[in-house]
Amino acid sequence: MGMNGGSGGGGGGMGSACYVYPGAPATPGFVTPDVLFQRGIYMNGSMTFDDGNSVTIWGFTDLAAGGGGGMTGGSFPSPAMRVTEGQIVHTALTVNMMWMHTVHHHGIEPSQENDGVGHFSWDVTNGTYTYQWRPSHAGTYFYHCHTNTPLHAEMGMYGGLIVDPVPNPNDPPGTKRAFANGPIYDVEAIWAADEIDPAWHTLQWSAGTCGGDVGLNNLNPRYFIITGVDGASSALTNPGVAVTMQKGQRLLVRYICAGFHPQKIDFGGLTATVVASDGRPLPQAWQTTSIEAHSAERYDCIFQPTTTGTWTVTVTYYHWRSGAVLGTARTRINVV
Amino acid sequence: MERRAFLKAGGASLASALMGSGMLTWSARSEAATISQTLYITDGTKTMPDGVSVYVKGYGTTANTPLIPAPSIICQEGDTLSITVYNMLSVTHNLVIGGLVSGSAPIASTGDIAPGGNKTLTYTIPSGAAGSYLFYDNKTSYNRFLGLHGGLAIMPAGISNQLYSGSPTFVKQQFWILNDIDPALNTAVKNGTTIPTNFTPRYFTINGLSSRPPGAAGHGDPTIDALYDPRSRLSGHVGDRTLVRMLNTGMCSHAVHTHANHMEWLTDRGTIRPAVWKKDTLYLRNNLGKIDAIFPFEAPPDAYPPVTSGHFPMHLHDEMSQTAGGGLYQFGSMTELEFL
Repeated sequence: MGMNGGSGGGGGGMGSACYVYPGAPATPGFVTPDVLFQRGIYMNGSMTFDDGNSVTIWGFTDLAAGGGGGMTGGSFPSPAMRVTEGQIVHTALTVNMMWMHTVHHHGIEPSQENDGVGHFSWDVTNGTYTYQWRPSHAGTYFYHCHTNTPLHAEMGMYGGLIVDPVPNPNDPPGTKRAFANGPIYDVEAIWAADEIDPAWHTLQWSAGTCGGDVGLNNLNPRYFIITGVDGASSALTNPGVAVTMQKGQRLLVRYICAGFHPQKIDFGGLTATVVASDGRPLPQAWQTTSIEAHSAERYDCIFQPTTTGTWTVTVTYYHWRSGAVLGTARTRINVV
Repeated sequence: MERRAFLKAGGASLASALMGSGMLTWSARSEAATISQTLYITDGTKTMPDGVSVYVKGYGTTANTPLIPAPSIICQEGDTLSITVYNMLSVTHNLVIGGLVSGSAPIASTGDIAPGGNKTLTYTIPSGAAGSYLFYDNKTSYNRFLGLHGGLAIMPAGISNQLYSGSPTFVKQQFWILNDIDPALNTAVKNGTTIPTNFTPRYFTINGLSSRPPGAAGHGDPTIDALYDPRSRLSGHVGDRTLVRMLNTGMCSHAVHTHANHMEWLTDRGTIRPAVWKKDTLYLRNNLGKIDAIFPFEAPPDAYPPVTSGHFPMHLHDEMSQTAGGGLYQFGSMTELEFL
């Protein structure tokens, strides 16, 4: 397997961490990019739910926008990345020596060094590693940390990643398409549906890596969220989640199953035209009123309501073993 | 119909077309054959990644060593399967071949095999049956979780490179059989105590093994480390399109995620998909869910500069499955995708 850049790889690791592979080497084949994202990390954010309770959240910061690093807070989900097909992209991740993290651009398929999986390359610490990649397919992706992944992703270390197609020179300026020659849309929503188990949100970054039962086999979520907003009630009206659109407009919903348990998203009576999944156009569009999905799947859904009204969208979360309903998160599509 | 690679078998009775050491190997035949296999239901223990010893049962090829999963069997439509099963244990067991479509009735069974007894399952495979099957013990709802399971690949008659007649083609094929282990169940079976009704799996396997990251004991040992197990690991050059027959014998649903390439999704729960979607993550249902997909071994499309080699993981994205004993991330159900 090889390629671990760190000093000694697994076993003792740093401090109480085991089977981590510290490193921040130079990027092979480094070139000047078309797009640069500078990401730091935060380990002391929080999210407050509709019932007043809150949990600790970790995530990535945008260093270019003045985001801090380490013991600060930050946005949840982490700042989205948006690039165009064919651009050379750099994601420069800076982590101080207290922690280890990576960026894995889920669904993007770069070289081994730039895939952001610790045990296949390195866990970034005490420096900066620049992931270099060039997206070849427009669509919906997301990025997340791939160090002690069950914990770090659950803690919130993820953000949206959108690859737009190269603009069609025959389209009017400003035309937005889901992919090259794909459907045109006017309004866009990114719904990352996730679940939160507060018991996990008290753990430290390397919990369990040296062994011992810290409960990472057993996720018992109590809160169900859409794009960082509590789906109990806030997501019904939060303008970052709920959609308000004009009749006649086309809406593109980028649905990301960001949790670990399986889900079903029901569009409340609206019919979705699913045009792509996991960053690839479907051979034929699929008409459906709901989608069953599992962790990390993405579906790109076009809606063009023909009447005004309000539709309530419900994400139902199911236990991965029993299939029991764990909870729901709701938002709305308002057509005016 | 595929015309190449026909080998005359002359209707002979073949020693079981099983493979203990790696990928499924297959050459199509123009004539049917009888595929014979003898299996022994035995028990033993397996050491989990955190050192915990867990009681298991399995179908072995000798009278005292369970193999988990059982050796895979590959045959083609028209063949006759003749599977003789000896029950070396003190409780009744069986072996059934599950239906092609998840949730459908088994297509063949030994019937009950009393302690110390044996039965032979004989089944002639009809045309149209090509696909991926799990054979397992359904005497109880949980025997398959203990290790009593294996994979059966039925090829379309006379075809060596298609899942079903007319499917996209492949050059290699393998099983990924996923299982989840709650030792409380295994211990209860061993001790004859009340079977738990609310399982909480603590260990997660692919073809009977969990992964071991660099630095861990057993890393790189193909008999211990699922990253290196040739039954699980996909290894190929660009163009070595590999059919993966994913069978979920375990308790939990899973999200099968490949790095480096999207998969071509051919079937879900035994039903041919109306169109082939390219997916980096596939929803593999529990309750005997199954998926067939081709890992295309294309150059990783988003690398810059371009590359054709490298090592990448296939892991389950329901990340609880990437742990062992409640911790030990990287010691779960994961294998390696090796671009040579």
